[in-house]
Amino acid sequence: MTAVAEPRAAPLLRPTLSLNARLLPALLLLPCLTWIAFFFLAPLILMCWRSLASEGFSLEAYSVLFTSPLFTKVMVTTVKTAAIATVFALLLAYPLAYALTISGSKVRALILVFVLIPYWVDIIVRSFSWLILLGDNGMVNKALMGLGIVSAPLQLLYNPFSVLLAMVQILLPLTTVTLFGGMLRIDRTLVTAAKIHGASEWQAFRTVFFPLSLPGVYGAGLLVFVLALGFYVTPALLGSPRETMIAQTIMVEASQLLDWPQASAAGAVLLIITTSIAAIYNRYFSLDRLWGGSDK
Amino acid sequence: MTEFAAAAMASGAQLRLRQLTKAFGAAKAVDQISLDVPAGAFVSLLGPSGSGKTTTLNLIAGFLTPDSGDILLDERSIADVPPHKRNIGMVFQSYSLFPHMTVADNVGFPLRMRTQLSRQDARRRIDEMLALVQLGHLGTRYPRQLSGGQQQRVAMARALVSHPRLLLMDEPLGALDKKLREQMQVEIKRIHRSVGTTVIYVTHDQTEALTMSDVVVVMHQARVSQVGSPRVLYEAPANLFVADFLGDSNLLNATVAQICGDEFAVKIGSGETIRVARGTSAATQGGRAVLLIRPEDISVTTTAERAESQDVLAGTIRDISYHGDTFRLDVAVGTDVLKVKVARERGAGMERGDRVFLTWRSGVVRLLPAPDGMNDADNGDKR
Repeated sequence: MTAVAEPRAAPLLRPTLSLNARLLPALLLLPCLTWIAFFFLAPLILMCWRSLASEGFSLEAYSVLFTSPLFTKVMVTTVKTAAIATVFALLLAYPLAYALTISGSKVRALILVFVLIPYWVDIIVRSFSWLILLGDNGMVNKALMGLGIVSAPLQLLYNPFSVLLAMVQILLPLTTVTLFGGMLRIDRTLVTAAKIHGASEWQAFRTVFFPLSLPGVYGAGLLVFVLALGFYVTPALLGSPRETMIAQTIMVEASQLLDWPQASAAGAVLLIITTSIAAIYNRYFSLDRLWGGSDK
Repeated sequence: MTEFAAAAMASGAQLRLRQLTKAFGAAKAVDQISLDVPAGAFVSLLGPSGSGKTTTLNLIAGFLTPDSGDILLDERSIADVPPHKRNIGMVFQSYSLFPHMTVADNVGFPLRMRTQLSRQDARRRIDEMLALVQLGHLGTRYPRQLSGGQQQRVAMARALVSHPRLLLMDEPLGALDKKLREQMQVEIKRIHRSVGTTVIYVTHDQTEALTMSDVVVVMHQARVSQVGSPRVLYEAPANLFVADFLGDSNLLNATVAQICGDEFAVKIGSGETIRVARGTSAATQGGRAVLLIRPEDISVTTTAERAESQDVLAGTIRDISYHGDTFRLDVAVGTDVLKVKVARERGAGMERGDRVFLTWRSGVVRLLPAPDGMNDADNGDKR
């Protein structure tokens, strides 16, 4: 064995910072931290507090939640809907993101514009547009009847199909951009190396590019899933009561039943579920990579 | 190049480039390059960045399609063959090992893609290759767990495992430090001798090209400037670019004063006359030319002890620096400044401002054609 360990870069000696230089990062963070503290952390703590202490300290709100068959059912529907929407969003976004990575700068800019325009359109507008498309007098049914494929309008709205369709559409831009970011980080010369060593275009994709893109897929999956868990407008507009998701339940508890402890408890449970999924996920798929951390 | 053909082993392929041209937009990256590479030879493409050497390599690999011209591998045109069917091995500058595969899987990759070998046979080949690059014990590691030098060896093993008849190396040692680079040069030569594959080696490091190659192709501005063995290139450069690019050189503007037999008498800036063997130079009486003297060919004395048939230039030491193995002097001779290398014991007694005399063996001085801008006088004479 003749290989010699290469010298590593010596750790940079941190120069002793003056007081000002040490205060600067804190000063830069201050506005953002203040904002988060007032408009995010404080309400969050207030919410948790309220769920525990409506009339003296009690876990009653939680025990009501977990014994209520309705809440359990809504929670299952929520997780199931979010999971299915995530899978479909990933399946649709992956080829699109791949096309973005391999295309030239002009085509790439064009695709990105078409991906991002819907992203800038408000979520309510996008949900409403599905009402127009899928309604009994909507474009889809009119076209189907006009072509004589069906005689009566199909029930395309207020079912799991319409909710999922709209959710996937709304989640698609974010999924695409996140996947694209991950794919850009893959060293293209690895694909070149695979080709010169005997791999066809497809083999190079299957054996090199695809496995290397999986961390990005896992990361995008989590991001989209967590986002999908909190959907409110879309299932409310396009779903029936059976497609009710947790955010709607919380809204009803808070604004119609005025049962704030109950709504807070449901919110806290959603928060706990979301963060624990993220934590477990991070343990296995090391999400650092998605945010530009080092590849492990 | 027949001397190399004899040394070539059966497993190397013969490579011919025919008028190969590739342009990116208006800029020609490779311009009408023709080259014959004998089977089994170690050939370096040497040149500064932007000279077209990497483009040439990418054309041979098939990552780029030539605009015109042809590439023949064993007399068969491969210009239209996709890279994965060319059966070429390649080592990349950044190694480009697959980070999600173990060392053994990296090395086995070409076997899985190109051959129908059984698991045991593939296993044996991988072990052979890892033994060849002296990494037999690291098969289960991942690339990120290896040092740069080790990754380089894995890249070599992967490139050679399917017994390609042509191996391309794109500045493979560029990322290593000097010690390790010298060690790997020896290693690569050893591996080349034992496998006999034809190697095309791209580098901008002249020492690397000179020490490793059978043939060096010096590239300049998308064209081949000169092809030859390292000795020929260093001792008989065909033009100013090659003379300047390889090693240290003193290049003095000169005018041919007189032609007598097979010798020129040329006049340099200081007005002194120097005799040069005619060799292959096409200079004519009164024509401009450039005189090449390598710094290590000059000897320095403090007294004018002129030997028979030797030229002597008198000068003053303008600068002296210590380089460990030698002293280097800048000696002003008239308007010219000559670089000179002096052995340690000689240089120890010299000082700035000393008056010295420069001499050299006859035959070490060469006359090169003057650069284009200076050719007018020349052309007038040739008419």
